[in-house]
Amino acid sequence: MNNVTQIVQKVRQAPWRVQRQWIGLFLLGLVVIAMVAGVYLNITVRATLAGREIQMLRNPSLLNPFPDSQPNSISTDQRINTELETQLAGLTSVESMRQRAEAMGFQAITPGDMIFVAVPGYPEQSTVDLSTSSSNHLAAPVILPEYTESWFDYFLNQQVSSAASGAQP
Amino acid sequence: MKRLPNAWRYLSIAIIMATMGIAILVQIVRVQGSQEVAGVIDQGDFVWKDFYPPRGEIYDRNGHLLAGNKTVYEIGLDLTANPDMPTVMLALQMSGIDLNEVNYRISQEPPTAKYITLADFISANKAELLINLQKKAHGDPTGKNLDAIFFKAHFARSYPENDLASNVLGFVTQDNHGYLGIEEKYDNILAGLPVRMLVPADPRRVTEYPNIPPGQTIILTIDREIQASIEQILDQALKSTGASSGTIVVMDPKTGDILAMSSTPRMNLNDYQNISTIFPGETPFNRAISQAYEPGSVVKILTMAGALDGSIVKPDTVYFDPGFIVVGGHRIEDWNGQPWGYQDMTGCLANSLNDCLAWVATQMGNDLFYSYMQRFGLGHATGIDLAQETTGRLKLPGDSDWSPMELGTNAFGQGMSATPLQMVMAASALANNGQMVYPQVLYAQIQDGKQIDTKTQIVGTPISSNTAHTISDMLANALESESSGALIPGYRIAGKTGTAQVPLPTGGYDQINVNASFIGWGPLDDPRFIVYIWLEKPQSNKAASVVVAPIFKQVVETLIVSLDIPDDATRLEISGR
Repeated sequence: MNNVTQIVQKVRQAPWRVQRQWIGLFLLGLVVIAMVAGVYLNITVRATLAGREIQMLRNPSLLNPFPDSQPNSISTDQRINTELETQLAGLTSVESMRQRAEAMGFQAITPGDMIFVAVPGYPEQSTVDLSTSSSNHLAAPVILPEYTESWFDYFLNQQVSSAASGAQP
Repeated sequence: MKRLPNAWRYLSIAIIMATMGIAILVQIVRVQGSQEVAGVIDQGDFVWKDFYPPRGEIYDRNGHLLAGNKTVYEIGLDLTANPDMPTVMLALQMSGIDLNEVNYRISQEPPTAKYITLADFISANKAELLINLQKKAHGDPTGKNLDAIFFKAHFARSYPENDLASNVLGFVTQDNHGYLGIEEKYDNILAGLPVRMLVPADPRRVTEYPNIPPGQTIILTIDREIQASIEQILDQALKSTGASSGTIVVMDPKTGDILAMSSTPRMNLNDYQNISTIFPGETPFNRAISQAYEPGSVVKILTMAGALDGSIVKPDTVYFDPGFIVVGGHRIEDWNGQPWGYQDMTGCLANSLNDCLAWVATQMGNDLFYSYMQRFGLGHATGIDLAQETTGRLKLPGDSDWSPMELGTNAFGQGMSATPLQMVMAASALANNGQMVYPQVLYAQIQDGKQIDTKTQIVGTPISSNTAHTISDMLANALESESSGALIPGYRIAGKTGTAQVPLPTGGYDQINVNASFIGWGPLDDPRFIVYIWLEKPQSNKAASVVVAPIFKQVVETLIVSLDIPDDATRLEISGR
């Protein structure tokens, strides 16, 4: 029996060593938690900053009592674009163009001046299509996927993109 | 007590951790106490926000802007900032802002008001002057600054073409409501309605931010080049003929697209406040749709078309014209009161013989005649997408004010009324193989960035295709036989004049003034346009063949150029290849 006790006492760690291991484990856990919290905080802060920036662009009056002094807001840019579009239409109005044409020596054409030539395959004049025009529409908010995707999605996308880039010749 | 050999390591870690903790706490307190965050916190989770989406734009069929938006400013004053009123008023005056309006607005505010709107719809130029003055006066040590003035930019309607197509477009008032024309008819889709909504203040919820749609952009069937040309022609016509007013409508008979529509007077839509001066009393804003009149002999084409379609007459049917006919006990005379002898139906149209067409109507009988008139849409609104269309009047047998004589007079466009557009729609059946098209001004609308085109609608088929070709051919022959001033070398055109007496409000007809009209379409083998012209009370000459036919020729020459229509020979040569 004494022999058994002696053996246990020989293989058991010294108490201070056990204590240090526990402290080490605790600190390791703390570091891991701190790292996760840091990453989480980093992502959250970046998302918040981006959201703030979008807020400022879309609605400067939320933060600024002088919204029109915000030069780069979406509403300001949209208003300037619309204004310029109207100004351009005024500069190219029928009356303006007629005066400019006359000043340049052009005359109105008459049916007698016209010569028609048959060109096979030449497309007929079509009416305007403004489908692609987005001048009058607010742009949809663009948020990078980094701010919305989960970690699982992130790592999956990384794997897919790295696999895809690896497949490149 | 014996100290552990590596105790300094633990102590260092403890100090670092404690320092980090304290630093974090300090940073939290610093951030929480910052002015910016305090302001955000004060807003709460949601804040009220006013949205002023822009009104939808209006383009012509070739993408030229007819109605857009411009920036104007609302100028306000924060009374809590103790503004120096004499300085503010002086600055407003120097910027060209109407002080009477400012004083009126101030007088309407309660004494407890903290904020006053001094002026609204101020142009960008004036606002810029005031902003510059505000910058110069900023920080004035005597306190006479303009820091209490606020600017709020918003949109207002702008018409870059001024009075072009004004009768079609209508206008928008400062309260963003459309009146007359397209602006009124499509007000509900054009107007981006201002809304006040709660928006999240939390930047992490930015995706929940409401997306207020702007007013829908629309494209009209109007071609601004043709529109400008016919307006110019109309203005010249009024000067040369002395007519009191004029109307021109150009429509594509296959699609119903209104390519141009103008009547007098017109107005610069940017100065819509002058409307009561330009359109005094009952003056219609757009005579083409809002003023019905007795169109006279242009209705003969419908009478003849109905008679041909009903197999009552043929082009070579002969009528002996004694110069008058008695219908319902009423004597109806030709325009010159003279007998014309034997005339076939083309001759009746070429010489515009009233008694011949009255005879044709009597041969048709009440039921058939009025059935065709109704099929042509007379007495009913066309339903065009413009505000304030009137219906005209077609009295029918059985109506209290109808008499048997009306059958004879209605046959040549007297005793009934129609708008120019109703006549154009009716004639589209003659020009479009018997199919009558619905006239439309809306070509397309833009929804979510996609263009949705308006489809052509056939209102009905009042006559057969054969009848349509026959009557068109007769009208072309009629024009050619009388060497009309409406003829265009190289192009075969169908047309008919109309010189109608003007009914008096007291009964009877004006013995001096007439309404002169012309309706025509072409090219005959493949019609691309219908043109209707109406001059009210021309003074230079009473005969439409003299007054209006040359104007029709001018309009068609413009259309030939604008629509790239080759002459008949070239077109046949091209199609024959």
